[in-house]
Amino acid sequence: MSDIARDIVTELSLLVRRMSTWVIVGLWLVLGLFFNYILAYISFRGNRPVGADGRVVSELGGMLPSGVVGTTSSGFAFFGGALVLILAVMTFGNEFNWATWKTLFTQRPGRTRIVMAKLAALATLILPMVLLAFVVNGIASVTIAQIENMPVAWPAASAFIEAIGAGWLILATWAALGVLLAVATRGTGLAIGLGILYALLIEGTLSGFANTISWLKPVVDGLIRANAYSLTQGFGGGTAGGPGLFNGPYVSVAQATAVLLVWLAGCSGLALWLMRRRDVV
Amino acid sequence: MSTTEHLAPSGSLPHPARTIASRYAATTAQAQRTDADVVRTRALTKRYGAHMAVNGLDLSVRPGEVYGFLGPNGAGKTTTLRMLVGLIRPTSGEAAVLGAAPGTPEGLAQIGAMIETPAFYPFLSGEDNLRVLARYAGVPVSRIAAVLEQVDLLDRAGDPFKSYSLGMKQRLGVAAALLKDPRLLILDEPTNGLDPAGMAEMRALIRALGQGDRTVLLSSHLMHEIEQISDRVGIVAHGRLVAEGTVDDLRGEDHLLIRVDPAAEDAARGLLTPLDGLRVVIAEPGMLRVEAMTPSGTSASPIDAAAINARLVTNGVPVRELRPERASLESVFFALTGSHLTAGEEVSHV
Repeated sequence: MSDIARDIVTELSLLVRRMSTWVIVGLWLVLGLFFNYILAYISFRGNRPVGADGRVVSELGGMLPSGVVGTTSSGFAFFGGALVLILAVMTFGNEFNWATWKTLFTQRPGRTRIVMAKLAALATLILPMVLLAFVVNGIASVTIAQIENMPVAWPAASAFIEAIGAGWLILATWAALGVLLAVATRGTGLAIGLGILYALLIEGTLSGFANTISWLKPVVDGLIRANAYSLTQGFGGGTAGGPGLFNGPYVSVAQATAVLLVWLAGCSGLALWLMRRRDVV
Repeated sequence: MSTTEHLAPSGSLPHPARTIASRYAATTAQAQRTDADVVRTRALTKRYGAHMAVNGLDLSVRPGEVYGFLGPNGAGKTTTLRMLVGLIRPTSGEAAVLGAAPGTPEGLAQIGAMIETPAFYPFLSGEDNLRVLARYAGVPVSRIAAVLEQVDLLDRAGDPFKSYSLGMKQRLGVAAALLKDPRLLILDEPTNGLDPAGMAEMRALIRALGQGDRTVLLSSHLMHEIEQISDRVGIVAHGRLVAEGTVDDLRGEDHLLIRVDPAAEDAARGLLTPLDGLRVVIAEPGMLRVEAMTPSGTSASPIDAAAINARLVTNGVPVRELRPERASLESVFFALTGSHLTAGEEVSHV
């Protein structure tokens, strides 16, 4: 095993042994299941819409296996993003709280290798988070289909692959922002506060006004949430409700991918630069 | 040359502080530095805004020695050590550790360090914490059991770090510093928070670690600790190295305390003052302190107590008490770290 691979495995072993990681992953899966399937199904059962052919269909679509890609993807842009932002803040910020940066930085590797290993481990952990969401939601959709005697028809494999890729990119971007906030504020509390404030209020409010104030549109086109929703809207899941509500403007998938990659690289690069440059006290 | 003076009034520098400070204000730092030094700094400076944490520090630690880095809290010890391992960048000046720039992988590979409070992952056991560090340091995991045994922590190695007592945390910190079997061991206040038994154990451990070729740089504000463990001592105050040498060198030569009848004090002083190479100080009523001085003001050869006693007695001054007195490291420390030191004073090497 190469040095880099060994470093990443080391950091992954740290991540999986942190209680906060499991709390956040658990919340991600349970809340996604609850809002996308359990609550939606209870609501559906209380008010069964009937189609022209007399069958109950219309609002059930998103809860069936055929809609699992769209339904799962709708959670990445805001809800999942906020959770991985917290996960990233906990991963990097707690190293300041525990003063463990100094312990790590006085070992053999330089700062760059250690920070890169942490970033890579975080990015690696996000992939199973995305996959697990599809697995859990897939099981829920099959269960609902069986209860409702509906056919189990899965989306194309390519749709799954695209959605997994999009989900990873969206969550990794939010995670990178969390890393940057944790490094910039040298801790967890302020970083989480600022991150949630930014995700909830700043991006949400700007997006809300962008449809009526034309000069705001270019600004919103550069924000994480707008590009994340633009990336997932093609999967048919719509947007989250409540504070995560997004009604456009949307950009192309190519532009969304590019903008998110810039955010990802920018936040990670800036965090790395700060870690290399700053004193560890 | 001989001089006579009375104790400084309250509020100014107490004796023997003045004597010591003047004795050490002689030579410059660069004279004794060599390329073989394990740690070498030149004009190392760290400034935080208007606060000068380390001010032009010239430090040299030689191979195989236990170097005590002594100074009051806030003197700049930890800041210096952080600069030596690359955790913070100096504002100016130079430093080399084992021939490498601080913080570089080639230097860090040979250094084991515990800077300030030991910092580990609270949710991992002591052993697992060391496993993380061993992977990063590139040392075999078989070293973990060896270092845990060395610090007598093997039986609690599987317990979470957060459940450790302060002493156990300190010992784990030392174990982590030993993982790489380093040529240079840097320990910053390793006995902080330990009970007396724990402090004694830690000192014994450090003494053992300092045997052989390994160099130990030990920072502390506890004078007796440094005095017991160190081969050489550097005293730092206000970010400046104010003295450097062995403990014996720093303490200097014996003085002579002579108690006479207070009524005979002037007579005694009059008899001794003309003697060449002696300085006579009235320490308290009826008590004279006799110090041997060279013309330059530095310490000289031992005082001939018998001759002085004979001179006083034969001239009708009864001597009630006559005993040698040696400056403690504590008195040296207070003399050199007192507020009298200014930015213009030079480092003393003895």
